[in-house]
Amino acid sequence: MTEPLLEVRDLEKYFFERDTYVDRLMGADPVSIKAVDGISFDVYEGETLGLVGESGCGKSTTGETLLGLQEPTGGTVQFDGDDVFSLSRSGRRAFRRNAQVVFQDPFSSLDPRMTVGATVRQPLEVHDVGTRDDRRERVDELLERVGLSADQYDRYPHEFSGGQRQRIGIARALALEPDFLVLDEPTSALDVSVQAQILNLLSDLQDEFDLTYLLISHDLSVIRHICDRVAVMYLGELVEVGPVGEIFESPKHPYTEALLESVPRASTDERDREVETLSGDVPSPRNPPSGCRFRTRCPQVIPPDGLAVDQPEYRQIMDVRERIEAEDVDLDSAWEHVAEGQPSTTLGPIGKYLGGLGDGAEQYREEHADAFVDRLEERLVDVDLSTPHDRRVREAFRELANGDWEAAADVLATEYETVCETVQPVLQPDADHPAACHLYDQPPAEDRASTDASDGVGSIDAADAESANSD
Amino acid sequence: MARDLLRVNGLTTRFFTQEGQVNAVEDVSFDVREGEVLGIVGESGSGKSVTARSLVDLIDDPGRITDGSIEYRNAELAEAARDDTPDAVDGDFVDVRQLSPRHRRSLRGPDFASIFQDPASSLNPSLPVGEQIAEAVEVQRRASANPRSTRSRTQSFGLGKFLVGAALPGHGFLSEDSKARAIELLEMVGIPDPAERAEALPHEYSGGMLQRAMIAQALAGEPDVLIADEPTTALDVTIQAQILDLLDELQEETGMTILLITHNLGVIARMCDRVGVMYAGEIVERGTLEDVFDDPIHPYTRGLLGSIPDVESAGGRLQPIEGNVPSLLDHEMEDRCYFADRCPKAMAECLEKPPEFDGPGTEDHRAKCYLADHPYDPEDALPEGYFDRPPEERTLGGEDRSGGRAAEAQVDEVGADD
Repeated sequence: MTEPLLEVRDLEKYFFERDTYVDRLMGADPVSIKAVDGISFDVYEGETLGLVGESGCGKSTTGETLLGLQEPTGGTVQFDGDDVFSLSRSGRRAFRRNAQVVFQDPFSSLDPRMTVGATVRQPLEVHDVGTRDDRRERVDELLERVGLSADQYDRYPHEFSGGQRQRIGIARALALEPDFLVLDEPTSALDVSVQAQILNLLSDLQDEFDLTYLLISHDLSVIRHICDRVAVMYLGELVEVGPVGEIFESPKHPYTEALLESVPRASTDERDREVETLSGDVPSPRNPPSGCRFRTRCPQVIPPDGLAVDQPEYRQIMDVRERIEAEDVDLDSAWEHVAEGQPSTTLGPIGKYLGGLGDGAEQYREEHADAFVDRLEERLVDVDLSTPHDRRVREAFRELANGDWEAAADVLATEYETVCETVQPVLQPDADHPAACHLYDQPPAEDRASTDASDGVGSIDAADAESANSD
Repeated sequence: MARDLLRVNGLTTRFFTQEGQVNAVEDVSFDVREGEVLGIVGESGSGKSVTARSLVDLIDDPGRITDGSIEYRNAELAEAARDDTPDAVDGDFVDVRQLSPRHRRSLRGPDFASIFQDPASSLNPSLPVGEQIAEAVEVQRRASANPRSTRSRTQSFGLGKFLVGAALPGHGFLSEDSKARAIELLEMVGIPDPAERAEALPHEYSGGMLQRAMIAQALAGEPDVLIADEPTTALDVTIQAQILDLLDELQEETGMTILLITHNLGVIARMCDRVGVMYAGEIVERGTLEDVFDDPIHPYTRGLLGSIPDVESAGGRLQPIEGNVPSLLDHEMEDRCYFADRCPKAMAECLEKPPEFDGPGTEDHRAKCYLADHPYDPEDALPEGYFDRPPEERTLGGEDRSGGRAAEAQVDEVGADD
């Protein structure tokens, strides 16, 4: 386990929305979805690297892109010393033989009109391996090896159960004696009893054929069970990479911690285990948060120096800021509520009313600003804020009463800006167990600046390049 | 100890398909106590969802509940049903299956409510979420204003109303009170800024929030029993933890009873007081969480617990259950313990269907397995590869050995087969 078999550097895969010819004619700007946004890692010979993350974090796209099944947007992948994306035709063929994939869904990844034998034989035919009889023999051998029987050669996929189909998929992937397998959620469609069979089979095959695995999974217990090292992904980026024992026993990144804590254990002590659940949802990859992408949910956001604030309070303030900055607060409905609270004012839809008032609207807003601020506080603030924080939040709400989003955002931004939003944390280079989090030492800013100039991707993204976790 | 709220006895649900009769649920018995969380765990195709749906009478053609009783304790309902269907009433308990359809329908909402696995497909994509919840509130509100017997009657719904409804969706149906209650419910299930979110369409919600909305809708009728069918399976772990927390809190607040159906043993361990393990349409083992997890009798339960990798320790090799989940087609099922063909401890007597035995743990602990009655005896083991052979060639090693030379020859033959 000395040389990396696979070196991934700054791999990027963006998908574009509104990118059709018609959209361009209409003058619409394409919207990019950064499924994989500059990730770097190594996979060493003979090891199993686990890539774990929630749905939509880009883990499957990573697997597909590094195999060349998706056109990469940027970055390089070196397999055994060769750059995968700039291979010649014959080089590409050789790479395809050496790097295979097992897909998640055993139902849609097998051709229903091909017999099992033909399915497993196809890669041999495509790559022109051996004579007809050799191939037949090889297929029989493979079927037996993955726990099926050679008499099942002429059966069709629908005659098999999910676990058996996954075995067929594995036999097909092994047909060309690859060195490297991407296992994309190989057991998530299977029941637990069958999952255990497949996991055992995979580790037997690894020992027998010296295989290197990249295991993509959302199931932490599977990852723990068969991986040597783990890379944790969040919203298109790696947040932590390390040996499996360290990741599971002393996770560094707050996201990894939260992820581990959320998994319910199948034991009778589970009811008494305290679980601090993560609030909120994963943000959209169309417009990911600046700085650390996890900051919008992080239970350990770092307050600015010298600010006396509790973590729950700070979290609350940051959530309010988020809403204001995204202009995601319905002000009209708050005004309506204000209007309802005062029986003397008989108003139509408030928006129209205020719009029609002209200068009068200004006055109305002025008069009822306090009620409006109260209403917003009731709606948006769930944690009791201490002074002076409550005053500052109310100040921001008052700006909203004038409809001034920017001023409201500024009021909070000047006071509460955190390093988590201004500087993107990176994985420490040359570390065994790097974590992209400001709670841990980050490489000095000068190093980052130097990469900016050479690479036009953007100051923060480029910094990731430096942080490749080579060890 | 809490009283029984629901007693299910010998519930049997079958599907009559073109390929044959499917025995989805077979002779399932369990009871649900007031205020507890009862879990039913099993792999796909074990009949756990069909059991849940049978309880709320949501079995569609070609399925039918063919046998069994579902007794539900509700004094008011018992009173109302006594005249129409006296046979169904036993004290405060009412056999839901024998009730008239309109009575049965009136149970949904104030008595039983369900949440399902896929929240995205359970809500109408073209109506605001708040409105859909308000609708559920409104239905309950109107129903409770009427006596139970008239609940299900459609309220003068003619062509005129239909046309008005089509032109002005939601017009005249939802009262302001219902809308306000819907917002309250959304707040109760932890949706931030509920007043505003109520106006949003389902596609503007994330998966976790949709599941919360579904729960809010189910709570509209303040149900006695909440049937949660794989409520977190479609969600990520961090969101799953949120939803489980929410269910826990709601149960504490409202004191409702939850029947939780899942394939995830971790979720069971987190939520449930008592557990039933299903396999091939039967509850093979049931008891308190401790009985089942710490002291399992049935080899299937053991196998299930042994085959999940542990997130806390790397552990050694997994101990999977060999073989595959059996077919539930009637003509392919043999009259034996359905697990015998995968069971590492199958004995000759397992070829006869085991009854439910009392287990060693609490009085709730029961298992459909001979091992609960007496320990495993290797002498009685089925010969290796027994189930791989066609039925007519299957012979029991034990009997053969005592049967002299002819049997020996047969055993030899068996060896050759392998």
